[in-house]
Amino acid sequence: MTEAMRPVMTTETVLLILDDESTVAFDEFLAASGLARDELAALVEFGVLETAGAPGTFSTRALVHARRAARLRDDFELNAAGMALALAYLERIDALEQRLRELECQLLGPA
Amino acid sequence: MKYKDYYATLGVARDASADDIKKSYRKLARKYHPDVSKEKDAEEKFKEVQEAYETLKDAEKRAAYDQLGRYQPGEDFRPPPGWERQFRFEQGSFDDFDLADLFEHFGGGPFQGRGARGRRGGPGAGGFAMRGQDYEVTAHLTLEDLCRGAEVSLDLAAPEMTPDGAVRRVPKTVRVRVPKGATDGQRLRVPGKGGSGAGSGPAGDLYLNIALHPHPLYKVSGHDLYLELPVTPWEAVLGSEVEVPTLDGRVKVSVRPGSRPGQKLRLAGKGLPKPREGHGDLYCVLQIVTPSVLSEREKQLYVELGRISGFNPRGHLG
Repeated sequence: MTEAMRPVMTTETVLLILDDESTVAFDEFLAASGLARDELAALVEFGVLETAGAPGTFSTRALVHARRAARLRDDFELNAAGMALALAYLERIDALEQRLRELECQLLGPA
Repeated sequence: MKYKDYYATLGVARDASADDIKKSYRKLARKYHPDVSKEKDAEEKFKEVQEAYETLKDAEKRAAYDQLGRYQPGEDFRPPPGWERQFRFEQGSFDDFDLADLFEHFGGGPFQGRGARGRRGGPGAGGFAMRGQDYEVTAHLTLEDLCRGAEVSLDLAAPEMTPDGAVRRVPKTVRVRVPKGATDGQRLRVPGKGGSGAGSGPAGDLYLNIALHPHPLYKVSGHDLYLELPVTPWEAVLGSEVEVPTLDGRVKVSVRPGSRPGQKLRLAGKGLPKPREGHGDLYCVLQIVTPSVLSEREKQLYVELGRISGFNPRGHLG
């Protein structure tokens, strides 16, 4: 094993849960999302990404959606309108799957 | 270096046209894209398809790949003599390389870690800057892990740029703590714990997806738990107190007289902990279970009950 191949141990880090309640500032959101500034602006205009309470911040859950949009853009050559449409449908599917999960939990029988 | 058959991955012949390669890629991307696919192992398959396409869509990379020769997938091989010179490949050693890395920065292009897809460089006023690769990994946790929080060791290996400009695969183990309050399907993040940036670019981020192992008793929806609670017909009819297991010990719950199957009894705050404060709820879903083996005496009592009862559940059927 060469020097470069030896695993590097790092100290323990606490992960942050991405949800509706925690927020991230605009610049960090933009850098982490993988979206270009104009694409982010367009997705906000289309209403599929919303800024959180404080101006210029987003919820960390929105970061999950923004990254999804960037991946879809790369892999399917989508423009902003295409990303917005895909995100809207995927969010609807997420909500339906969550509802389905909740109903399945109430059915008798094994999990 | 291990050989990968990119043509087989895309399901095209070795002499396929660029158009056919693109068509096949699109079809497979649609099928396996992890954001839209429900196929098993979609993510893994998508990565393979993407890697194959990245090389075969580019005429120069494809020619270089073809010149490597043909091997069995997974077979160890070395590029033929002179290959590096012919294709202006400037790295020193092939030993630490994955075939994908070989083509990733082929032809002297700027290094871009695999997975750092479509990152557009920053303003780059001071020269070349590339944000590091994001890592995205899945951790399989138990219900108990979610209640207490859990420490997870992640083995990561991604190409990183060394100060002298070479690219190496650097394995590293990152220990992370999943705080209590996380639940199934949730994503977590640590900024700056992804791959190192190149030039003056910042490091990427680390993302963790939570996948919950099924629990023998509880089903999970968000932070709520569901427990199937079997009761006897007489417990359901007459009402009773029964013990149920919760995450923090057994508690007694009242089954009301006249309870029906599928009814839910809610135990507030007995679900999974939420991130900031509070807990989800535990729902006991009543199941009325009939005995399959009866003693003579039990049978007699049922017969008598049937004789004297005026209850008709099928009255509305006419």
